Amino acid sequence: MPDWVGPVARYVLETGLPETLRLAVTAVAASTLVGIALGTLLTLRLVRVPVRLYVEVWRGLPILVTVFLVYFALPSLGLRFGAFTAAAIGLTLWGSAQVAEETRGAVQSIPREQHDAASALGFSWVGRHRRVILPQAFRRLLPPLVSLQANVIQNTTIAAVIGVAETLEAGNRQTERLLFSSSSSHSLEIFGGVMALFFVISFPLTRLAAHLERRLV
Amino acid sequence: MNWGFVWEHAPELARGLGRTLEVAAIGIAGAWAVGVLLGAARAHRVPIVSQAAAVYVEVIRNTPILVQIFFLFYGLPQLGIVLSPFTAAWLSVLVWGGAFSTENFRAGFEAVPLRYREAGYALGFGRVRTFLSVTLPIGGRIALPSTINTSVSVLKNTSLLTAIGFAELTNVARSISAVTFRDTEMLVVVALAYLALVWTLSGAIRLVEARLRIPA
Repeated sequence: MPDWVGPVARYVLETGLPETLRLAVTAVAASTLVGIALGTLLTLRLVRVPVRLYVEVWRGLPILVTVFLVYFALPSLGLRFGAFTAAAIGLTLWGSAQVAEETRGAVQSIPREQHDAASALGFSWVGRHRRVILPQAFRRLLPPLVSLQANVIQNTTIAAVIGVAETLEAGNRQTERLLFSSSSSHSLEIFGGVMALFFVISFPLTRLAAHLERRLV
Repeated sequence: MNWGFVWEHAPELARGLGRTLEVAAIGIAGAWAVGVLLGAARAHRVPIVSQAAAVYVEVIRNTPILVQIFFLFYGLPQLGIVLSPFTAAWLSVLVWGGAFSTENFRAGFEAVPLRYREAGYALGFGRVRTFLSVTLPIGGRIALPSTINTSVSVLKNTSLLTAIGFAELTNVARSISAVTFRDTEMLVVVALAYLALVWTLSGAIRLVEARLRIPA
């Protein structure tokens, strides 16, 4: 193996990859929790309009523009975030809007009788959804949720644009270093390697989503 | 906040919007063409083409588009293939959209009942004629909503081209902010422009869907 590979691989795998995983875990967890809560609220007439607006805005905007808004525009309202936090917030706004839309569909697929039966047993709105409706809707929600989260993981690379040292940015910095210190940036191998890395993470998830869809729905 | 200054930069923003629309239009048109061709090859199990298309779809679906853009723009010159920012721009969103459209059309074509195709053969149609007159009009309509959703994503993904310095809408807005320090106004205007585009397109989808629904 050529000499340049070792240091590049070490930097990408030891600095970039952990940052990608940290960002992915944060965004996946937050967008799942916020998305399921908002998606359930979408079935409640009282709050439907503001929640619908949230979903349509963050689903409609390119994620990069959302991340830019959080990172560059919110400071003018006195909200200043570091690059990592801004990227995590931007990804969560987009991811939670997607999860909310899927959740609404799953919740509405549960027959009316389940709501009536839960009410008859004395459950409140919150208790009814938490104990009766969501556990059943989750079966239907799981396959799209898994493939959405594969998308969230891929989209963590957008954080590179505001300078978060995740996998893509780590690879990018190495191409720049190599360009100055040697004759070639080795961009082809490095970005090819970054693609391979994401493929290894994402492919099992999209397979799993397809498998769950056959099994559960 | 100073909104008047946005007005002063309106011509630059309009040029950026123009480039966004241009690249999106090429990418979307190309993605549909790729999707119909490879989707048909997948659904009809055309040897070799079908397997190659499957690999293409899986690679594109399972890798981040931003890395694909970097690979095309910064990686390919190492093989002597140097792309201008404009070529890299439309090509990368076309390649991405083509993979997703292939899946959409494959699913649409496969949803056409086999007996419809058999009816085509019984009428003396060849394979190509049967595809054009039977599978495409029916399967294409089934694939339409998901393919238009993919097209909307292609439009949104053009914003990522700012990372290779292509002067589309997001890039122009950032450049103006860089010299005027007016990030907030610029980004709010750009966000509203994207929402207007995406919401108009999504609204158009619903109209088209209603018009083209297959009569029950």
